[in-house]
Amino acid sequence: MKAMQERKDILQVRDIHKDFSGLKVLTGVDFEVKENEKHAIIGPNGAGKTTLFNIISGKYKPSSGSIIFKGEDISGRSPHALTRMKICRSFQMTNVFKELNVFENVRAGVRCDHGLRYNFLKRPGSIPEVNEKTEEILALVGLADAGETPARELSYGQQRALEIAVTLSTEPELILLDEPTAGMTREETIEAIKMIDKVTANRTLVIIEHDMDVVFSLADTISVLHNGSILVSGRPEEIREDQRVKDAYLGEEAG
Amino acid sequence: MINQRSFAQFLGWGIFVLIVGVVLPLGVRQYQVALLTEIIIFALFAVSYNLLLGYAGLLSFGHAMFFGVGAYTVAIVLNHISGLSFFGAVMISVMVTTVAGFAVGSLLLRHKGVPFALLTLAFNALFYAIATKWHSITGGDDGLSIRLPDINLGFAHLKTGDITVFYYITLLIIGSVILFCWYFTRTAMGQTVLLVRENEERMKFVGYNTNVSRLILFVFTGFLAGLAGSFYTLHYQFTSISAISIDMSTIVVLMVIIGGTGSFIGPILGACVYIYLQDFLSDITDRWPFIMGLIFIFMILYVPRGLSGLIDSFGERLRGRWHLRSSVEMEE
Ligand SMILES: Nc1ncnc2c1ncn2[C@@H]1O[C@H](COP(=O)(O)OP(=O)(O)OP(=O)(O)O)[C@@H](O)[C@H]1O
Ligand SMILES: [Mg+2]
Repeated sequence: MKAMQERKDILQVRDIHKDFSGLKVLTGVDFEVKENEKHAIIGPNGAGKTTLFNIISGKYKPSSGSIIFKGEDISGRSPHALTRMKICRSFQMTNVFKELNVFENVRAGVRCDHGLRYNFLKRPGSIPEVNEKTEEILALVGLADAGETPARELSYGQQRALEIAVTLSTEPELILLDEPTAGMTREETIEAIKMIDKVTANRTLVIIEHDMDVVFSLADTISVLHNGSILVSGRPEEIREDQRVKDAYLGEEAG
Repeated sequence: MINQRSFAQFLGWGIFVLIVGVVLPLGVRQYQVALLTEIIIFALFAVSYNLLLGYAGLLSFGHAMFFGVGAYTVAIVLNHISGLSFFGAVMISVMVTTVAGFAVGSLLLRHKGVPFALLTLAFNALFYAIATKWHSITGGDDGLSIRLPDINLGFAHLKTGDITVFYYITLLIIGSVILFCWYFTRTAMGQTVLLVRENEERMKFVGYNTNVSRLILFVFTGFLAGLAGSFYTLHYQFTSISAISIDMSTIVVLMVIIGGTGSFIGPILGACVYIYLQDFLSDITDRWPFIMGLIFIFMILYVPRGLSGLIDSFGERLRGRWHLRSSVEMEE
């Protein structure tokens, strides 16, 4: 516990506001994520969880407020720049290269780091390290045997695994997973979470997740997003006992 | 998605085409050799256009602006710089086209779809206007003629004015560039172009600056079109306003659509068919544009995947029948 308290903040979200042409979705979001922490964000449907990810990952610019990554203000930077700073996110709705096979899907992100982005002379597979890294990631998420399969032909569970594999392909230090288990059965969810726990070892994870059991077992810290701001942020046992959370969210869930 | 033929298959085709290319002029009349030269030049123009349309999914109605800049620059530098060599003129020309591609591309960078198409059209109109109005440099409606310099390689002196010699120069240079274009589609950049078209958003989130990749591709295709344009002028020893006209942009769109955007080889077929058809029809009737128009309408309506699509599905059917027969045999 003591060691955890001494860890540095890798991400600080400071007073983030976001409105979409008048619709105030986020009204001052504040929280921080420590290095190597597993941080869950929970909140009712439409609370603005995905919007928050969209802002941290550079898809949207915040209306106001700032995002600090390793002490540097990164608010408003473009997704590719943030990816190269080792922040990478997954999507709630699978968002991969459907017409390409699984291997190519993952290699796209891997080769990015090896000078194979806009190279006119080298072929994408020309660096053995890139192929090895790709195989490694596929093995991690359990898609080692599906390399040749076109993404669109994967089962739903495999597509979700590929979504994570693509996210990991850029070797992120800060991983943002948006409901990676959305649409899965209980059993699939448990398997998926085991896998996520394994692949995010020694990295920082921020995860949006609806399944409370999963959240309480996986996360070191939980932040509750409610009515556009963070209601409370704390260790699982604190969140479980928090009256405001019970009223606002867990109560709803139970009822 | 682009049909990715296997390397061996393509190499086979490449060698076949090369041998045909080398042997072909031996048995035919000079006029036919000149026609072949034109086909090679337009094949590059069409291939470059298909990198935009077929690979990147960018519909341009202004590709002739680069063809035209290439064509005019060669003529202008040959007229103004005395003693400039053949390759010197080509080099300057492609450099100027590359700069033009970069300038136009930077302004188009953020646009896709309909705005992109309209902007390319507008830019082409602008380039055309400059070419017509800047009479002192471009010759306006009269065009520009050139005196074609010979190529002195030290050990050999090539008379570029000879139709067959020029054909072989074109085959060697433009042919190799077309081959490189094919290789390009297999390179990291070529694949990046395909992936950006497939899912641009995800490409951004795995670290690609998709605006930059679009710009690089745009400049590259402009460079290729400029090279084709400069050979167009060298071939005719003349350049006219048609080289930079919207008509010329339409021609390349038609070539690529006739040939098929779904494969690398399609636009090359399209260039062959277009030029032979035009040559053949204009010989027999003055109403050839009308007949060409009808043929294109027919093609677009009934053969939307173009000739290469037609060949592919024909091949598939043949193979399918063969599979069918062999599986029947197995059952027996
Ligand atoms: N691009 C946008 N334009 C307009 N409104 C948006 C946009 N993105 C999100 N919203 C709105 O913001 C609110 C929060 O959406 P968001 O997707 O962030 O919620 P969420 O917490 O991720 O919900 P869920 O649990 O259903 O995924 C919703 O009312 C949504 O309609
Ligand atoms: Mg969401």
